[in-house]
Amino acid sequence: MQGTTGRIWSPARGYFVILSLPVLFLLVFFVWPMAGVVLRSFEGGEGIFSQYLTVFERSSYIKVLLYTLQVATTVTVLCLLIAYPVAALVARLQGKWLQIAFALILVPFWTSTVIRTYAWMVLFQRKGVINGMLIDMGLIAEPLRFMHNNIGVHIGMVHIMLPFMLLPLISAFRNIDPSYMRAAGVLGANPIRAFWHVYLPLSMPGVSAGVALVFITSLGFFITPALLGGAHNMMVAVLIEQQVTITVNWELASALASVLLLVTAALYIVYDWVSRRAGGGGVLD
Amino acid sequence: MTWNTSGRLARIFLVVFTVAVLIYLIMPTFVIVPMSFSSKSYLSFPPPGWSLQWYQTMMERHDYPQAFWNSIKIGVPVALLSTTLGTLAALGVVRGRFFGSRPMSAVVIAPLMLPQIILAIGLYPIMAKFGLAGSYPGVVIGHTVICIPLVFITVAASLKNYHPAYEYAAMTLGANWWQTFWHVTFPMIRVGVIVGGILAFTFSFDELIIALFLTSPETRTLPRLLWEDLRQYVTPIIASATTLVLCISFILFGAVALLQRHLSKATRS
Repeated sequence: MQGTTGRIWSPARGYFVILSLPVLFLLVFFVWPMAGVVLRSFEGGEGIFSQYLTVFERSSYIKVLLYTLQVATTVTVLCLLIAYPVAALVARLQGKWLQIAFALILVPFWTSTVIRTYAWMVLFQRKGVINGMLIDMGLIAEPLRFMHNNIGVHIGMVHIMLPFMLLPLISAFRNIDPSYMRAAGVLGANPIRAFWHVYLPLSMPGVSAGVALVFITSLGFFITPALLGGAHNMMVAVLIEQQVTITVNWELASALASVLLLVTAALYIVYDWVSRRAGGGGVLD
Repeated sequence: MTWNTSGRLARIFLVVFTVAVLIYLIMPTFVIVPMSFSSKSYLSFPPPGWSLQWYQTMMERHDYPQAFWNSIKIGVPVALLSTTLGTLAALGVVRGRFFGSRPMSAVVIAPLMLPQIILAIGLYPIMAKFGLAGSYPGVVIGHTVICIPLVFITVAASLKNYHPAYEYAAMTLGANWWQTFWHVTFPMIRVGVIVGGILAFTFSFDELIIALFLTSPETRTLPRLLWEDLRQYVTPIIASATTLVLCISFILFGAVALLQRHLSKATRS
């Protein structure tokens, strides 16, 4: 690759060689396993689509897929509603306060999901902190059930996904020039109009990045629904794990995993394409 | 009400709401810390009395220390391997602007975006075929696949911070590939590489799903042991182990925060 070899030298060719090592590693240990899952989903039973027929005919499996979509949607909407005003405020902070707010948002990022879900299990117990506080405040007479139902899964998942919504929103808000809002005000727009016609459209790149990140990640969530969720409403990643470890039905698990893979990959590609067209540069840049 | 007073009310509400949300983000995790010093075997807050007995019990059991060392023995090679491969990938994609570098960057980032459960059930049969299921190399490879994108993102960001003309200049002046990398490129991207390596270690140290499929009772990591214990009973031993993990995570978090501050000062001056 050096000039001494006598060939016409180009940096691009050298970087191609550099790139080949990680790409080879990922081909063997990422692309091959993924392809293996898809191939295995066509095995077992009669006909190559028999696993998929099972997935889409059995109402209990359809219920799991729909529940997964529903939870991912609710979590995404809740994260957006909570994160939008918080990010708008944090983006306007300066100096020390900005650093403190950033640290508080990043700390959960560094804390294991298992540990954060365990924390909720402790808080949610019948005689746990939350029930104790609510009873002391006289809001409820009997302890509430937070675990093994929808409430716990949603509170726990929003808690874990919130930083993923906050960070892209904050970075989008920091790019909005505050003089635009002042200009709208000077030109006679009231704050609501100014927000609706100026601030909101300018914040859309952050909104779409956060929504895509939270929704795609939520679809594959495993730990929180497995520990806080109930047996009646199961998310698809939990079902896949059970099909492998308890039922030992690799083919059906692979079919479920392929459906999840297809949906996630499609959303990822669509999002990348949309954000590229919007001119913001895709996820990959 | 005029716009001014309602604006002020809205601002107060916004501040209160933000503080509440930040508390919601932080508090749950720290409730565990006092519980690990509880004198009783049940979890209540605040604890009825204080003691270190749960730390002692944890140390006396053989599975917790073993799982802790397993997590280190897996996390360090993951950090080294993914730092090497992730840096190479970033160099290739960012500097080598040739046909096909964009689809390749999609392949490099994809492991981070796709659900880990799919990779876990895909890797298990392959590792079993190679006789690596349940071994250290098996889980190290599994974690490295997901950590390459983490390093890739941080290093690619550092590479985009300066113009490749520096490297061309070095090469024009007769430096070979290694000299160019070691004396020009690496000093420029050093912080990105180190931050990527710490992120990779932290990820491996906290990861559950891959470990669930690719470790055995002998090689199981701390998150897997916590997970197995959590499904049985909720005792303060788990709180003690959790507090220990939190300490390590925050030391690493602090290290990265300092590095990034150092970097932003360096680029400003």
